[in-house]
Amino acid sequence: MKTRGLGDPLERFLGGPVLWTGLVLATLFALGPFFWVFLASVKTRVELYATPITYIPVHPTFQNYVDAWTSRLTPFSRFFANSLWVSSVTMVATIVISTLAGYALARFRFVGKNTLMLVFLATQMFPAVLLIAPLLSQWHALGLIDTYQALIYSNFSFTVPFTVWMLVGYFESIPRELEESAMIDGSGRFGALLRIIVPLAAPGIAATAIFAFVSSWSELLFAVTFTSQTEMRTLSAGLLYMVGQYEIQWGQLGAGVMISTIPVAILFTFLQKHLIRGLTAGALKG
Amino acid sequence: MANQQATIAVAAPRPLISRHTREILANYAYLLPAAICLGGTVLFPILKAMHMSLYHHVLIRPQDYRFIGLGNYVRMVQDPTFWLTLKNSFIWVFWSVSLQFFFGFLMALLLNGQFKGRAIFRTINLLPWIIPGVVVALIWEYIYQPNYGPLNDLLRRVGWMREPVAWLSDPGLAMPAVVLTNIWRGIPFFAIMILAGLQAIPDEIYEAATVDGAGVIQRFWSVTLPMLRPIIVVATATRIIWTFNYADLIFVMTSGGPANATQITSTYTLLQAYSDLDFGYAATLSVILLVIMLVFTALYLKLTKGVESVAG
Repeated sequence: MKTRGLGDPLERFLGGPVLWTGLVLATLFALGPFFWVFLASVKTRVELYATPITYIPVHPTFQNYVDAWTSRLTPFSRFFANSLWVSSVTMVATIVISTLAGYALARFRFVGKNTLMLVFLATQMFPAVLLIAPLLSQWHALGLIDTYQALIYSNFSFTVPFTVWMLVGYFESIPRELEESAMIDGSGRFGALLRIIVPLAAPGIAATAIFAFVSSWSELLFAVTFTSQTEMRTLSAGLLYMVGQYEIQWGQLGAGVMISTIPVAILFTFLQKHLIRGLTAGALKG
Repeated sequence: MANQQATIAVAAPRPLISRHTREILANYAYLLPAAICLGGTVLFPILKAMHMSLYHHVLIRPQDYRFIGLGNYVRMVQDPTFWLTLKNSFIWVFWSVSLQFFFGFLMALLLNGQFKGRAIFRTINLLPWIIPGVVVALIWEYIYQPNYGPLNDLLRRVGWMREPVAWLSDPGLAMPAVVLTNIWRGIPFFAIMILAGLQAIPDEIYEAATVDGAGVIQRFWSVTLPMLRPIIVVATATRIIWTFNYADLIFVMTSGGPANATQITSTYTLLQAYSDLDFGYAATLSVILLVIMLVFTALYLKLTKGVESVAG
């Protein structure tokens, strides 16, 4: 990798000025809006509504965070705990379910396998919007309104199809010979899956884990529909509820935005290592 | 027990379930948890929705609940707003996905480069995708805010604008504004997927191509792109479907307004269920959404021959 393209001026140009210009522009675009809201979250009420606009707060304060976290009408501490629990359980369950199904679809011969793959793709298309009415009556009949279960089960409707679809691609990129040799060495099919395939597909599985967590954390429509009590609201539902409660208070909302983002940012940084590692590089060399 | 022993002792004939059949059953067992999940949260609700689409079913008027056959479908064909939302959906999907793909690909190539501090750059640049949709909508609502939003202020400072613009209330600007928001959100999705694909390409192939005298551009066309094709097929197909059905952003930012300028079919469906509580008509619109997307997927997979490389 290091020796590549030493004599290629175009490559040096692409790896130097073009790379850095691109990185700076991309970062400004990605971070700018977010930074703006962070600044708003530490502004005082006067600075928030000043003309001309105050960009850098002169008297930074964390009062907005305290207000949002301890508010009785919109308790972000409670929203945060709800989101954390629902997203974590959804993520773990989704990974177990999807690894099994993705492996089966990548390796075994089924009658109508292509049709089944199309069904997995098709289930992603069905708008969450429509699932709401039938699911609402279903959860109501089962007595699951205002429970975590209703939100977690509903989240499977979008996490499982996507993660299965992605994992099939990852598993197929792993040579069959690797697990076949493990099975000859005495591992069962399931043992080979756990010991050979899962470690090799770890970057793919990590990516799908991030997906499951993040999409559950972001879910809005189910959270709004299947809960009615304030203490059962997730962060997304809580933010929308906050907008509905008052005239938009950008300071507290900004604080809520930061509170909603920090845990996923941490998780993401942690899992990134697995993403970066090549899927098959180790397999081919080993 | 005695019977069984006798059987084994005699000739060990075929067991009740052959080894082959048992293997097939064991294989299906891997799919069982996923099947139960999707049966309960997708398949059954879909069937129920199809059933609902045949009824006049407005929640606040239960006394009017009755079977009307294809009445909702007739209403839909005659509904000019429905046709407008289809056109808006096309604009929304086309510009969102094509620009997300283009910039996402560029970002994946940047992030795949060798440079110091790339882990930090990766995290920062993937940030817009990991934050909740409602947060994205609120951030950009604030940016577009006519009086104390930064966009108008910045445009005035550089002298490109004189009068403040109400981005989300102007029928001509609202759609570009929500599309830009969606692009901001979606670029990292393509970046993360294509980056995973780039990381999966073995260095040996690049080294071999370099030894054979291939330059950086040649290596891109003859190694990178072909190797990425499966993941591009999956990522693009999924993104088009999601964007078509993605209601949260527009729902929070404009609710389809002003004057249906940003009303896409999915937000229209959502509002039929939420605002009008017309579940019969909402179900009808969703059935049509499903048909459109099924046709699209079949075409897409056929055109790209993705069936063999992805599902085969």
